[in-house]
Amino acid sequence: MTTSPSKILVWDWTIRLVHWLMVVLVPLLWWTAEEGHMDWHKSLGLTMFSLVLFRLIWGFMGSWTARFVPMVRRIGSLRPYLGTLRNRQFAPTFGHSPLSVLSVFALLLALVTQVTTGLFSVDVDGLESGPLAIWISFETGREAADIHEFNFKILSLLIGLHLIAIAIYRFVIKEKLVWPMISGHRDRQDFPSDLLPENRAHLLPVIIAATLSLASVFALVNLG
Amino acid sequence: MKRCKIQFILPALAGLTLLSACGQNSESEPASEAASAELPNGMTVKEQIEARQGQLKKMGKAFKAISDQLKAGSPDVAQIQTAAAVVPKEAVGMADWFPAGSGPESGVETEALPVIWENTADFNDKVTALQEAAAQLETIAQGGDVAAIGAAFKTTGGTCKACHDKYRLDD
Repeated sequence: MTTSPSKILVWDWTIRLVHWLMVVLVPLLWWTAEEGHMDWHKSLGLTMFSLVLFRLIWGFMGSWTARFVPMVRRIGSLRPYLGTLRNRQFAPTFGHSPLSVLSVFALLLALVTQVTTGLFSVDVDGLESGPLAIWISFETGREAADIHEFNFKILSLLIGLHLIAIAIYRFVIKEKLVWPMISGHRDRQDFPSDLLPENRAHLLPVIIAATLSLASVFALVNLG
Repeated sequence: MKRCKIQFILPALAGLTLLSACGQNSESEPASEAASAELPNGMTVKEQIEARQGQLKKMGKAFKAISDQLKAGSPDVAQIQTAAAVVPKEAVGMADWFPAGSGPESGVETEALPVIWENTADFNDKVTALQEAAAQLETIAQGGDVAAIGAAFKTTGGTCKACHDKYRLDD
């Protein structure tokens, strides 16, 4: 490890940047939609689209704790993990715990649904629409908008659960999860294993994932 | 003493629940009657509400067709002209689509707010503003100048919003 020996990198900088940008964007997207600032809503929505896409690509070529395959494998140890929570024999997971893997996938699915339906949504007056609504009828665009609206409730619910879980970990299990999501690091001694995977964000995959997600947004804007 | 209170409270609550259930029944029945009540124009309230929703949807469809073309790199002016001709045609007589009694009090699902019938003059002004803007949009569309069409489209859209913000349930 290249970091100081007492600390270890759990979340690489791209994961943290994407996470906190999403934290800023979700309330802004909600507010711009409520107030009818649709030009802003569309620009911010496309930004969100590129972040979600980056995260999905990063799940295949990113740092170890960001990768989907080890995350999916970890779901298998959900039952013993829940047991350790109950017995108060909690030991932190390097990366997402088996329970938080489920939370991450649910949140990502809700975000994918939200940005995808947003691209096709048409407002009730036919005056405003997402960049791909040009391909579909008014009626189908209205259905996309209905899903867009309903799915936001699901997304809000999942975000609420996420916050409650963080509070439970903080005050019941005495695990501070917010600081590592800011600094990226945890104490090396939190993890007894000697064989922790190398977890840095390498430059080349960052460039590839960022280029792919930005290029998709430009393609979307030009298609619409 | 405490026991006495509970013994009183429980049947009282049960009674209230029954009463409110009755209240709901007696409220919903005239509502369905109101839905099939005949308006002076010969339509039932339900028919009137569905008819105006159909008209407004046609206009929404036409607006989307125009907006799609304006978004495209090279707009198809012929399609804009066809859609722009739909709006003033479908908007004819719009003020008459909202006779007294065709609001949410009828029990029929509608986003029209009761405040329409408290401000009939202002509501009708706003309807006229849309009809004029839509006629203007059609004329400008015939001219074929895309920039001018874009501006007229915005103006027309603004007249929709002006009315909807005040007289339609926020969705």
